[in-house]
Amino acid sequence: MSQVNRLATGGRIDRSKPMSFSFNGKTYHGFDGDTLASALLANGVGIVGRSFKYSRARGILGHGAEEPNALMQLHTGNAAVPNPRATQVELFDGLVSGSTNGWPSVEFDLMEWVGKMGGKMMPPGFYYKTFMAPQKMWMTYEKFIRKAAGFGKLSLAPDPDTYDKINAHCDVIVVGAGPAGLTAALEAGRSGKRVIIVDEQNEFGGTLLANNQTVDGVDAAQWAQQATAQLTDMSNVVVMPRTTAFGYYDHNFVCALERRTDHLGPVSTSGSRQRLHRIRAHQVILATGAIERPLVFGNNDLPGIMLANSVSTYINRYAVVPGNRCVVMTTNDSGYQTALDIQAAGRTVVAVVDSRHAPDGRLVQQAKAAGIEIMTGHGVTEAQGSKRVVGAIVAPLDEAGDTLTGPAKTLSCDLIAVAGGWSPVVHLSCHTGSRPVWQEDIAGFVPGPSIQNQHLAGAITGDYKLSQALNAGVQAGAAAVGVESAHVFDCGDESEGAAQALYLIPHTKPVSRAPKQFVDFQNDVTAAGIELAAREGFQSIEHVKRYTAMGFGTDQGKTGNVNGMAIVAKTLNKSIAETGTTIFRPAYTPVTFGALGGRDVGVLLDPARHTAMHPWHVANGAKFENVGQWKRPWYFPQQGETMQQTLNRECLAVRNSVGILDASTLGKIDIQGKDAREFLNRVYTNAWSKLAPGKCRYGLMLKEDGMIFDDGVTACLSDQHFLMTTTSGGAAAVLGWLELWHQTEWPELEVYFTSVTDQWATCSFAGPNSRKVLEKLCTDVDLSAEAMKFMDYREGTVAGIKARIFRISFTGELSFEVNVPADQGHYMWQKLMEAGEEFGITPYGTESMHVLRAEKGFIIAGQDTDGSMTPQDCLMGWAVSKTKSFSFLGERSFSRPDTARADRKQLVGLKPIDPTVVIPEGSQIVMDPNQPIPMDMMGHVTSSYWSECLGHGIAMGTVKGGCDRMGQTVYCPQADGRVLAAQICSPVFYDPKGDHHHD
Amino acid sequence: MHHIYCPYCEETREEEEYSYTGEAHIERPKDPAAISDEAWADYLFFRSNPRGIHHEMWYHAAGCRRYFNVTRNTQSYQIHETYKMGELPTITAASLDQAAPQGDAS
Amino acid sequence: MTNSTSTQATDIMESPLHNHVAHTNADNAGVVMSEDKFRGHLNLRGNPQDADFMAAVASVLSVPLPTAPNTSARAGDTVAYWLCPNEWLLIVASGTQGQVENALRQAVADKGGNQHIAVTDVSSAQTLVNLSGSGVEQLLQKSTVYDCHEANFPAGKVVQTTFAKTGTTICKLADGSVDLVIRRSFSDYFFLWLQDASEEYGLHIA
Repeated sequence: MSQVNRLATGGRIDRSKPMSFSFNGKTYHGFDGDTLASALLANGVGIVGRSFKYSRARGILGHGAEEPNALMQLHTGNAAVPNPRATQVELFDGLVSGSTNGWPSVEFDLMEWVGKMGGKMMPPGFYYKTFMAPQKMWMTYEKFIRKAAGFGKLSLAPDPDTYDKINAHCDVIVVGAGPAGLTAALEAGRSGKRVIIVDEQNEFGGTLLANNQTVDGVDAAQWAQQATAQLTDMSNVVVMPRTTAFGYYDHNFVCALERRTDHLGPVSTSGSRQRLHRIRAHQVILATGAIERPLVFGNNDLPGIMLANSVSTYINRYAVVPGNRCVVMTTNDSGYQTALDIQAAGRTVVAVVDSRHAPDGRLVQQAKAAGIEIMTGHGVTEAQGSKRVVGAIVAPLDEAGDTLTGPAKTLSCDLIAVAGGWSPVVHLSCHTGSRPVWQEDIAGFVPGPSIQNQHLAGAITGDYKLSQALNAGVQAGAAAVGVESAHVFDCGDESEGAAQALYLIPHTKPVSRAPKQFVDFQNDVTAAGIELAAREGFQSIEHVKRYTAMGFGTDQGKTGNVNGMAIVAKTLNKSIAETGTTIFRPAYTPVTFGALGGRDVGVLLDPARHTAMHPWHVANGAKFENVGQWKRPWYFPQQGETMQQTLNRECLAVRNSVGILDASTLGKIDIQGKDAREFLNRVYTNAWSKLAPGKCRYGLMLKEDGMIFDDGVTACLSDQHFLMTTTSGGAAAVLGWLELWHQTEWPELEVYFTSVTDQWATCSFAGPNSRKVLEKLCTDVDLSAEAMKFMDYREGTVAGIKARIFRISFTGELSFEVNVPADQGHYMWQKLMEAGEEFGITPYGTESMHVLRAEKGFIIAGQDTDGSMTPQDCLMGWAVSKTKSFSFLGERSFSRPDTARADRKQLVGLKPIDPTVVIPEGSQIVMDPNQPIPMDMMGHVTSSYWSECLGHGIAMGTVKGGCDRMGQTVYCPQADGRVLAAQICSPVFYDPKGDHHHD
Repeated sequence: MHHIYCPYCEETREEEEYSYTGEAHIERPKDPAAISDEAWADYLFFRSNPRGIHHEMWYHAAGCRRYFNVTRNTQSYQIHETYKMGELPTITAASLDQAAPQGDAS
Repeated sequence: MTNSTSTQATDIMESPLHNHVAHTNADNAGVVMSEDKFRGHLNLRGNPQDADFMAAVASVLSVPLPTAPNTSARAGDTVAYWLCPNEWLLIVASGTQGQVENALRQAVADKGGNQHIAVTDVSSAQTLVNLSGSGVEQLLQKSTVYDCHEANFPAGKVVQTTFAKTGTTICKLADGSVDLVIRRSFSDYFFLWLQDASEEYGLHIA
């Protein structure tokens, strides 16, 4: 068997299910139940990657989310996944994995030599200091640095997997299914309330799965299985393994990522690969446990140096011993458990090196009794080796652990298990803004006060004993559902000796000259780097973090932060409580963008709104334009036409005969009540008191600052009943605006607003023959010029359907709008097409509509205005009443000094001097094209088109003091060097007297 | 993600249903023409932007389409109360200051 | 489905979901969708404190308007949804919306005529969709931020909330299925979403 480190018995792997997998091109074997990390260790693979900055060989340090080194590249082709931790990847048969970096290979990495040679020259802030000048070279530097730093690689092909999201609601969510989480969920679940329990691992139990204690007399792992089964049986409890709660947001909102098929293969064959759960909980119980800390000493990053608890976990849960001769370096009793585990697995414990001078806990006694050599009052000052640890240099320490007190000796070993104390996993509690507080007795940060409905249980509070955790879980679960529980678990825990708060083990050389002593493995931050940052004046812990990159990125300081803060505190002669901690941000561990996107991709990215006539437009070859969420026909090309040829044909049809436009997307608001007129008086610039039933009026709506916000035609259907139209994109905003004023300032006005945008399908047909078309279909309304005037409204029957008929025009031609209930809109459109056939009725889209309205100088709110244009700026003073008694919205602002300035930008017409030119929209306008750059910007072009009926280009634009510059020539310099000249003119290019639409 | 009690729907709903619409209790001057440019500009542009207790309007856009008021701590995002349009808050920065010496810090 | 008592020419009418014809993509599909097309939809505004208004409406609908938030009232083919303290959605038999609208205005006028009310026909603006089946609860969880669990959303309850990236009004029925009010212009998006979100349960279009 090639799995040199695999034990013959024990563990929670299934030896009847062997699996093969590859790592960096070589094939290895493991078992069902393995993680990629345990399988690599079983096969004796030491180097799994190269470090970020110095390109040093790195091995597996931990066994879970804390792992800083073993970032993998998984799968191939479009299924490639960059950067998952090997410790969190469940093994499956055929898994293809590799290192994310290392060139030409992780075993022989050229960059390491750059790191070694340049190491002294790469202090923190190196990139800021070195590569910032000259600034234009940064792009070149960055390319090189990125390649060297070696992140995992994404496939550029579309992801073959799907991802989705789901909303969940519960009374209690329990995060973490270790001992505390399990008892909390059981207690909460018994109340019958809705409970969700999530855990990032495939199997519930947490530390119980690798623990050789008992719970109420039952083997710990077996007890975990029983508890999980009990939870699964409760119909009110949702049990979610393989689910990481990665973010804890305001008002008890938790986001969790469920990995549904990652453990089955590179691509999901059934349903979504990952699911994002958005969970709103009344109560949150954090039972997230604690992470063991490494110790900081020389070359402490060598492969073969691991967290002691992780070594125990590999032995007990995965039946893998990751070395033959082990030195255990500890500051507390838990390292002794690892020594006992190694011995029980049949490997050699060279020595337990304990920084404490007189440890005497239960486990210490057991180790002594087992004949394990114990070196008290000692520390490992430096590890030896190049690609794998081969020895540990051990020296005596004083009581405080600050100073070496005697000569060193070297212990030969191939594994150093490090137990530097524990750091509660406070990450989630930090996400809502709670700052962790330092707790001296456990030498760790615990969650600080929180305003959330939050409960804590287990190791997250520093309760590291198993019985403590189980009992704290009971109490948290009971408290979360408002009951009391007296259940107490017995695990036979005995007294533990006090731990020593030690972080950096001294070396014979000062920190700045000692071999590299790593603090943050993932970001290659060393003790020397942190000291240097402090000496350079970075005294705030937040600044030190940003200067050194400690705790950045996907690592989020899980193993390194506390050690780094202790070093900062010591350098500054402060306590850790005084220097404090940085806080942690979501995500706890990385989340795929796929899961964040969910199903809101492709056609579901943004809703496409369709009118009743949409199928006709599709069938007739329309090209579509997005207007807000609406899909509007842009133009209707015929075979062989260019877009401009289409527009020319469509526009000429309107000018010469008749064209038809789907105007259903215009916002429509039904207004009823005896104060409707008064309300319109207040929100529009013009007067509505005298508008008679059957009449329509154009209105401008302003914000209180006097700037145009929306516009449209409102019809008086009856004395107390109006129909307002808004721009297609502005409908919801206008309705909200009306409701805002009604609900907050003028609730006494008796008026109601109802959106009817979707109720009515609107066929707008324009051109000299438009009346003839309508007359064929409508016989109960006198449509003659005398009887139905411009801006009149009638109810009538069109093609047998009860319709609302408006004679309004946005083209300058005789024009009608027929509104019918949308159920019959498609039918009405087809009837109008049939009726208009003899006149060559031509469907046209938004682009031709823009040309036609621009020929008439009609504005489009939002295109020709941008929230900084008053009616006067748009030469629309005619639409502003000066006689209304109520100071309508925006009126007062007209006299503000800035609004009243004479040199404001005003909207004018622009006629290109070269008639064949169409000036690009957005072009800047200057008076003197020969002025040196920067030129004085006078304004810009807002609308510009080719006018086929006029035979030249036309444009509108804003120009400072434009009204007083009629006839002057302005210039539009282009990026390609051309300068396009135009003459300022009236924006009404076509039919300035308005004869056509009054016909 | 806020979880906000709508005083009209009488339920706590998700933030996605709402939109924030600015500071509450900004009254439109009764006679805009009679006030100075400065006073008008103050009404138009100046808002209190406190760190701590803030009274603000929210719009239940995807729900009942009512505007209502929220007393919210802009630092902690804690919502102290919501109340209907036209009503006054019962919890203010001043009332919390007064309560603080006797009350607990939670 | 409601029997049409209408004189509407349904042969020239197209409901918002008319182009999604009956089909099944799985045996025992977990989600069954049916469109209750061409129902009459009226938006009603009025003051619930006005006893005359409430009595007038109750006389027309044969059932009092619900005044408790998020509730509904049902009588035969007619259902009234509470939308806000002075707004209701009335869903009536197909083709009767015009008659009901006129009857409402007349009944209110008969009570004195000064009540401030609004009645707006929105029958073409939206459609009623029923979703039933074992997959519906999870489908709703994927689609809306509202808590549609039985404990929070019993039969008869009505909520206006989000649905994917659009909005909807959802009513829980006694048989456990839900009625959704879908806006016409969003109906194609709704259907695309429904197809996608129901994939793991199977979808049957009735």
